[in-house]
Amino acid sequence: MPDQHHEPEHAVAGTGMGGTMDLGVDEAETLERRPTGPDGTGPQGRPRSLWSDAWRDLRRNPVFIVSGLVILFLVLISLWPSAIASGSPLACDLSKAQQGSSAGHPFGFDGQGCDVYTRTVYGARTSVAVGVLATLGVAVLGSVLGALAGYFGGIWDSVLSRITDVFFAIPVVLGGLVLLSVITSNTVWPVIGFIVLLGWPQLSRIARGAVITAKQNDYVQAARALGASHSRLMLRHIAPNAVAPVIVVATIALGTYIALEATLSYLGVGLKPPSVSWGIDISAASPYIRNAPHALLWPSGALAVTVLAFIMLGDAVRDALDPKLR
Amino acid sequence: MAEPILEVSDLVKHYPLTQGVVFRKQVGAVRAVDGVDFRLGRGETLGIVGESGCGKSTVAKMLVNLERPTAGSIRYKGEDITRLSGRALKAVRRNIQMVFQDPYTSLNPRMTVGDIVGEPFDIHPEAAPKGDRRRKVQELLDVVGLNPEYVNRYPHQFSGGQRQRIGIARGLALRPEVIVADEPVSALDVSVQAQVINLMDRLQSEFDLSYVFIAHDLSIVRHISNRVAVMYLGRIVETGTDTEIYEHPTHPYTQALLSAVPVPDPEAREHRERIILSGDVPSPTDIPSGCRFRTRCWKAQERCAREVPALAVPAWFRTEGGPAAHDSACHFAAEKQVVPVEPHGSGPG
Amino acid sequence: MLLEVRDLHVEFRTRDGVAKAVNGVSYGVDASETLAVLGESGSGKSVTAQAVMGILDMPPGRITGGEVVFRGRDLLQLKEDERRKVRGAEMAMIFQDALSSLNPVLTVGDQLGEMFTVHRGMSRKDARAKAVELMDRVRIPAARERVKQYPHQFSGGMRQRIMIAMALALEPALIIADEPTTALDVTVQAQVMDLLADLQREYHMGLILITHDLGVVADVADRIAVMYAGRIVESAPVHDIYKAPAHPYTRGLLESIPRLDLKGRELYAIKGLPPNLTQIPPGCAFHPRCPLARDVCRTDEPPLYEVSATRGSACHFWRECLDG
Repeated sequence: MPDQHHEPEHAVAGTGMGGTMDLGVDEAETLERRPTGPDGTGPQGRPRSLWSDAWRDLRRNPVFIVSGLVILFLVLISLWPSAIASGSPLACDLSKAQQGSSAGHPFGFDGQGCDVYTRTVYGARTSVAVGVLATLGVAVLGSVLGALAGYFGGIWDSVLSRITDVFFAIPVVLGGLVLLSVITSNTVWPVIGFIVLLGWPQLSRIARGAVITAKQNDYVQAARALGASHSRLMLRHIAPNAVAPVIVVATIALGTYIALEATLSYLGVGLKPPSVSWGIDISAASPYIRNAPHALLWPSGALAVTVLAFIMLGDAVRDALDPKLR
Repeated sequence: MAEPILEVSDLVKHYPLTQGVVFRKQVGAVRAVDGVDFRLGRGETLGIVGESGCGKSTVAKMLVNLERPTAGSIRYKGEDITRLSGRALKAVRRNIQMVFQDPYTSLNPRMTVGDIVGEPFDIHPEAAPKGDRRRKVQELLDVVGLNPEYVNRYPHQFSGGQRQRIGIARGLALRPEVIVADEPVSALDVSVQAQVINLMDRLQSEFDLSYVFIAHDLSIVRHISNRVAVMYLGRIVETGTDTEIYEHPTHPYTQALLSAVPVPDPEAREHRERIILSGDVPSPTDIPSGCRFRTRCWKAQERCAREVPALAVPAWFRTEGGPAAHDSACHFAAEKQVVPVEPHGSGPG
Repeated sequence: MLLEVRDLHVEFRTRDGVAKAVNGVSYGVDASETLAVLGESGSGKSVTAQAVMGILDMPPGRITGGEVVFRGRDLLQLKEDERRKVRGAEMAMIFQDALSSLNPVLTVGDQLGEMFTVHRGMSRKDARAKAVELMDRVRIPAARERVKQYPHQFSGGMRQRIMIAMALALEPALIIADEPTTALDVTVQAQVMDLLADLQREYHMGLILITHDLGVVADVADRIAVMYAGRIVESAPVHDIYKAPAHPYTRGLLESIPRLDLKGRELYAIKGLPPNLTQIPPGCAFHPRCPLARDVCRTDEPPLYEVSATRGSACHFWRECLDG
């Protein structure tokens, strides 16, 4: 009776043991789902939701704590860089070029005689701004288009799928070199725009898949049978159950967008001096790697730590939202 | 029969099979439901039984307008609801509600029980004034045997049986006249199934409900139904009252189905006749000509491949009447008793 | 005794604490005998079987006590590689979900043949011939052609036959079938149960049938062990238990199922829910749901009282229950 045989997909982070065991299906369910009332008459304890469960998991996850602290620190210094770096990143003194660390200048000076510490601190602002804004743009554009395609299906879906295929076929760096080299504006906006343009298909694909999965759940059918409108189905039933994978992928993507900004700036098509960016500094320091390795190391290290922090955060969030994927 | 509240005639649902990406062409169809007729009287329970893939769940979905039929009509109090849309459809939906099979996927995990049971009032604000809703929701929880204090809890804090009660409460909210229940207890533990079935029994008399009860479990269907329809490959092959179907089946498929059900009585195993069907159910994309059961039927003859048997009282029973005279779609319908009528020891207690 | 489980205890670590899935289970099965282990979800029936097979995931599972004596050896004392030799060759298992138990990218012939190439060191050609022979034996029509097909090309019933063929391949002395027909349609269910019973007779195998279906049990079992909250609450020959259960839980189960041959009005319903395994009630685990419960049930855990030479009941008031 396949009618009867069912393995309910539970999006809920159960109270169980991480879904790793190979109990009989029914037993696994029971262990995971039995309400916690000692008398077996009803559920007890405070109400729990996916988010509070996830938060409880996250708080105990050292990966989340470390990456969260790193990111918090990055956000704070990009908002108030002057709090920990007194000078200006543009105040350079050629006479100090390539000097090592000294009092008040812990990271030393780069090839132009600029203070590496100050520039690294100020570079965070560019990275965080590009990362956050590009991710926001990608998430909004990608998930709206993906969700519509997944929800309505049919021709919408076919058209969107073909378009995403086209975008996936564009090599990112080559696309950046071609598109951004014609733009002269020296702000973060062209870079953000470029990332959104190439990034949304990835998110739309995730959102589409998540919406299709959520759409098939019986509770969506139940609401339809009650006569619920499209917007109600979408906003109340589908979106809350489809948002988790979008958040996870967006968090991980944020890290890669920061790396992409640095790559483009390194290649000279992203931000250009006098803007401050780790990519620019890495590019500027690479010819002097033998004489002044510190000028290369600090911005590179900051970039690596930042990207890693976001990717680890994304992993931790994924684990918390979906224990089955572990 | 009482005045029908629901009348289904020649209901058909075909899902086209297409090939090609750019130029789609239809290469065939899954004939999930292929001409189904039945009537549901007020206050009655019609059981629809059949094996997986027989189309019973598709019928359920069409009854609550989750699927549009390819052809045929569903009349609710004389009005064909398959053609409705917009406001008129929404109004009909208040009166025909569904209870789903899987209590784990049929409740939105992100909503509290109060929101789930109260959602019908959000969608149909005319059904209850705003200030009244919380009380109504708590009343509904009480009616289905749940603590009304539980409104702020989430579904995953409940067991399968309790979740099914929540689903039933949601179905009852708008005071429908018809409830379509698609395998409402098959996902539950044995000891909990009885609780839910008893609840549905009680609600039926309390709220004057008519049920379409869809299940693969013949014992449960017998327990709850007044009339039973047996489906095979998208069609009803036999229909009648529960006594007619269970004690006087005339269609070979019904007989095989009944004889295959294990009876919880070890004394019966020696002297029960088992009809073991050979082979599997044919694919609904490639339905046999004539009688669709003939490929597995031990009575099949040449005529069965040629002529589609109509669902009617066979001529040879018509004159004598009695319990064998009920609708059966078989050219060679003959009564055969397969369920022990007088059980050995009526079980404990 | 072919297999004897003695006082087995299994625990699971969960987020909500330690779940005591199996709490002192003992049962035995002889050659040619069918033991049905009956229970609802969470009763520990599948976990016990997995511990016997040695396929329990550890962690999170942990065997905290007991013995599994198979042909005179305690399997729990064996090393993993010795254990592996027992598995498949001397005891085999059939699962509920045949589709997910078969590898979708290998033909059924390859999967059946693998049993012989790996365990018996046969050549691929001989193994293939053996595979065809096995498929014949489980009555799969046109075995010679179908041996080259993939699992998804078979229907549910046919897939379950392939699983049975695989379990039978090395002619084990014991088969454990965990809800082997639950996922199948009634008419197919009957075919598969029939086949299993025939093969058991032919090979004189011991069969442990794990199920929640009282009907299937009545049809095929010789003995029944009823489990509740990780313990055996009643153990008896099949005829005795259906005639007069000696435990209120068994009685409740029997009375709560609707019957094909009886049209009753209201069904008896056991009140409440099975317990949470992290918080099993003290005394008799069934007492919060039991109509016979008294003070002693809340404090003293009942042993498995001897009802007769072949019967046991873990109820302080089994006499009362037996009298109805």
